[in-house]
This record gives sequence, C-alpha cells and structure tokens, in this order.
Amino acid sequence: MSGLTLLQKGILAVLVLALVLPYVGLQDYWLYTLTIGLYYAMLASSWSLLVGYVGRISFAQAAMSGLGAYVAVLTGQLLDLPVLPALAAGVAVAGLFGLFIGWLTLRLHGAYLGLTTIAFGEILRIAVTAEYDITQGSRGLTAPPLWQGAGPVAYYYVFLAAAVGSVLLMLALLRSRVGLFFQAIREDEDGTASLGVNVTLWKALAFAASTAFAGLAGGLYAHFVQLITPSMMSLQEMGYILAMAVIGGFSNVVHAALGGVILQGLLQVLRELGEWRLAIFGAVAILMLRFAPNGLFGSLDAFLRRRR
Amino acid sequence: MTLIAIAEQALNGLIISTFYALIALGIALIFGVLRIVNFAHGELYMLGGYACYMAVTLLGLPPVFGVVFAVILLMAAGMAIERTLIRPIHAGKVDRPDEYAIMITFALSVLLLNLANSVFGPWPQRPRPIFRGIVEFGELIIPGDRLAAASVGALLIAGLMLVLRFTWMGKAVRAVSQDRQAAETFGINITRTSMLAFGAGAALAGAAGALIGPVFNVVPPMGIVPAIKAYIVVVLGGLGSIPGAVVGALILGQVESFATILIPDTTRALAYKDAYGLAVLILVLLVRPQGLFGKRERRA
Repeated sequence: MSGLTLLQKGILAVLVLALVLPYVGLQDYWLYTLTIGLYYAMLASSWSLLVGYVGRISFAQAAMSGLGAYVAVLTGQLLDLPVLPALAAGVAVAGLFGLFIGWLTLRLHGAYLGLTTIAFGEILRIAVTAEYDITQGSRGLTAPPLWQGAGPVAYYYVFLAAAVGSVLLMLALLRSRVGLFFQAIREDEDGTASLGVNVTLWKALAFAASTAFAGLAGGLYAHFVQLITPSMMSLQEMGYILAMAVIGGFSNVVHAALGGVILQGLLQVLRELGEWRLAIFGAVAILMLRFAPNGLFGSLDAFLRRRR
Repeated sequence: MTLIAIAEQALNGLIISTFYALIALGIALIFGVLRIVNFAHGELYMLGGYACYMAVTLLGLPPVFGVVFAVILLMAAGMAIERTLIRPIHAGKVDRPDEYAIMITFALSVLLLNLANSVFGPWPQRPRPIFRGIVEFGELIIPGDRLAAASVGALLIAGLMLVLRFTWMGKAVRAVSQDRQAAETFGINITRTSMLAFGAGAALAGAAGALIGPVFNVVPPMGIVPAIKAYIVVVLGGLGSIPGAVVGALILGQVESFATILIPDTTRALAYKDAYGLAVLILVLLVRPQGLFGKRERRA
C-alpha cells in the first residue's frame, strides 16, 4: 500500500465504509439518498471522462441518461425483455447515439460543440415529451423494480457496484494507450494526428463511451425510482451534473464521482435551506472554476502531495 | 388557408422575431468582442423580467420604467460579470480558456436560476404590461401587449444599430470584433470595450425580459427556451454577426410561425414546435458553421 497517496488511501477507506454502511444502522432514507448520489456519481464521472480528458464539451449527458432510461423501460415493456437485456439495450442505444453525435461533430470545438450537444439533448427531450402514446410524456413512465422485492439495501449495493465498476472501467481505459490518446487529443489535436493517432476514431469513441456509461446510469435509475419523466433530461439537470463534476474535480473521474455523491448528500443534509442549496452549489462551482480548477479533491490531492 | 390567416401568422412571427433578435443581439455582441458564447444569457433575460416586476409591481412605477430599470440593472450586472469572471480569460489567467468560458457561464446560469428561485419563489409573476387591450387592422386582430412590447423592442434594436454605426463606442466595438490586435494597435481600450460589450449584451437581454415578462409570465426558468432560440438565431446568422442576428431572428420567427400550421397533425406539430429550430441549428453547424453572415474560422 506504500505506493498510494494519502488521498487514494482515503478513497479506499471511503469505499470500505460504503460497503458496511447498511449494517451500521443507517436509515433507509439515507440509503435512498446515497443511491441517488451514486447515480449522479456515474453521470458526473462519465461526463468528466469526455470533458476532462478528451477536452470535448457536452451538454447532452442528462439527455443520454434519459435515453438509456427510456430505452431500458420501453424495450422491457414493448418487447417483453427481462431487466438485464433491457438495461443492456439502453446502454447500447445511448452509446450508439453518442457515437453518432461524436462522429457528426468531429469538426466542431468549444462553444460550437456545446451548442450542438444542447440541440441534440433538447430535441431528444422534446421528442420524449411529444411522443405521448409511447412514453406517457410529462405524466411519466412507470418502470418495474430491478427484481421483485428488491429493497433499499439491495438497490444501494447494485448502484455501488455499478458506480465503482464504471469508474474502474474508466480508469482502466484511461491507464491504457487509449487514455494517452485522449489526453494527447485534448492538448494538441493536430500534433496528435501527425504522430499517427487516429484522432477521428478516438474522438468519436470517447463520446460513445461517455454516453454509454450515462445510459447505464439512467437505466438503473429508472428501475430504482420506478417513475421517469422527461425532466430528467433537462438542461437544469445538466447544470447539476456540471456543478457536481466541477466541485469534485472534472479533470479526474474519481474526483468527479465523489463530487456527485457528496453534493447529493449535502442536498439532503442542508434541506432546511430550500432552493438556496442549489444557488450555493452554483456559486461554489463558479469559485472552483475560477480559483481551483482541479476541484475540491484535485486541490486536496495536490495539497497532501505538497505536504509530504 | 385564407389571406388573413397568412397575414396573421406572418405578423405573429414578426413579433416573436423582434424578441428573438433582442436576445440574440446580446449574444452576438458578446461573442463578437469577447469570442465567448454566454450560456447564462437566458438567466440575464430572466433577471430583466424580475427587474421589471420589482419596478412595476413592487414599486408601482409605470411599465416603461420597468424596462429602463431592467436595462440599468442588467448593464451593471453584465459589467460586473465581465470584470470578475470573463476578464481572467483574456488576461491569460486561465488554463483552458475555451472550456473555462463555457463552463463558468453555464455554472453562472445554475447560480442565477436558483437564486431567483430562492429570492422570488417558483410561482409566476405578471407585472402590468405597457399597453393592454387589442389592436385591429381591418380584420387582423393582434393582442396589444405583444404589439407594444415588440414595437419598443424594435426601437431598441434600431437604436443599437445606430449606436454601433455612428458613435465612437460603437465603432470601437465593431473594430474589436473584426480584429482584436489591430484594434489595440490603433489605441482602442480593449478592456473597456469588452466590459461595455458584455454590459450592453446583458442590458439587451434584460430589456427583452422586461418587455416579454408582462406578456407571458415572469418565472425563474423563463429564460431557458428563449436563450436556446437565441442560440439558434446567432448560429443561423453567423456567430458574432450583428446583421446575422437580426436576419436569423426574422427567419426563425417565420419558420416557427408557419411550420406549426403547415404540418397536418396539429397537436404533434405544436409539441415539436421548439425542435424545428434546433434541427436548423445542428444542420447549420454541420454544413456551414460560419452561418449566413459569419466570418469563417479555421476551426469552428
């Protein structure tokens, strides 16, 4: 364990704590909160995979989660698929849609890319709202539980496994050559291409990977809350994901995931503050971007390293 | 379709276009000078609506002062935002300027939206409009509040055009949009021009919010849809192009107005009303990222 930094040890401790949490007398209410937090952890980390490592901005992450959710529930309903294949269908459709967006927007950068992804996300949200016959529109679509009799503890462990598994997969991807390609593209696209990296391919695939994780998160979320509405695809929801990733630290998938869990937890702890909570999160996100672009955990990490 | 119905749709489209143009011009002005897209523009528009509400409903001032109050307040807010959040980009104090600009303005929109939710509450407000009642042109009947708001909006747009064309300030703004370095070489104060451009852009959004707030409703999320329309407009006209923003607004207003009555399945056509423009946005960015009037950049 000597190769680990203090922060990494801390993260391991948090993970062990997370595993035993249901057995130390935590109320179901808090398990529910943490489960939702893990959903956001998946969204924030998959978003940071794209924005933090490849340098491609996207405002369609909430919409992609919604796409995964609706596909998972609808394939289950219309094609009579069991839950697992339906979830896989949601992941596949979200991933393919991400590949499509990634491929279409290869030429676009920065604000142009941001605007295009907003347009794709909003069109999806509008379509889900408008196709009332299939999706029940804004009344919401009811989803079955993951399995009959699944309780809060079970959901908590499923989400914990999915979130940790997703982050580990992302880390494995980032540790490989592909991860280096991603970061090289972020630093200098033309330079990377000149060294023989297939920039076109990796830019499109990065998009697909990011949205596939979002699709998984959305599908699980649908079976957990058991009622999904198009509002889960809204730009406001996207704003929260951005705030979580930025506050946690969007240049590292682990930090972004921690940001998701912690902000969702704080939202419940600070419930007395009402809407002020979200205003505060917005303000903190702005301050972070301006003064600590590596986020809470990135800065903490740097601080702990320096003290050694 | 009768001639009168066509005229009615065209006029409705024109009124909506005026509002779109007012918001889009602010985005274009800011992009022209600062090279950033302000993703919090819809929330500045929303604040304009609340400024009008405070002046007209809470203080009991005449509705026109609601617009004036919104312009002054948002001008100040815009300049403060530029000073604190945007200037560091051009001062080279930010690592990844492109991503920073996008994310900081998006985070600002989260802050402002929820701030309004906390301070004013989520329920709709409706300040007194500039003019109530209906206006009749022969058989054509138009709601007076919309027409009055659009007329004031059109005057503001004309005023802005004149300022940009003939005053030193306007010339400085145009010069910086065309070539930042050359403008600086010729002694234009870039810092002051940038602050002015962001302030003016915010003031335009505020004016739009103050004009439209009484017509529809003043609620915290009121800026989301108009801002998206304005993004479509500026992309269509070419990001940063002032005439492009006006022409883009005219086109989008008519497209939306007629698309809803030309598509046979009316309920579905209405449900998808907000999606047509978004499809246009994607198409323009993919085929011709510089839009109708924009400057071609090496990399969009």
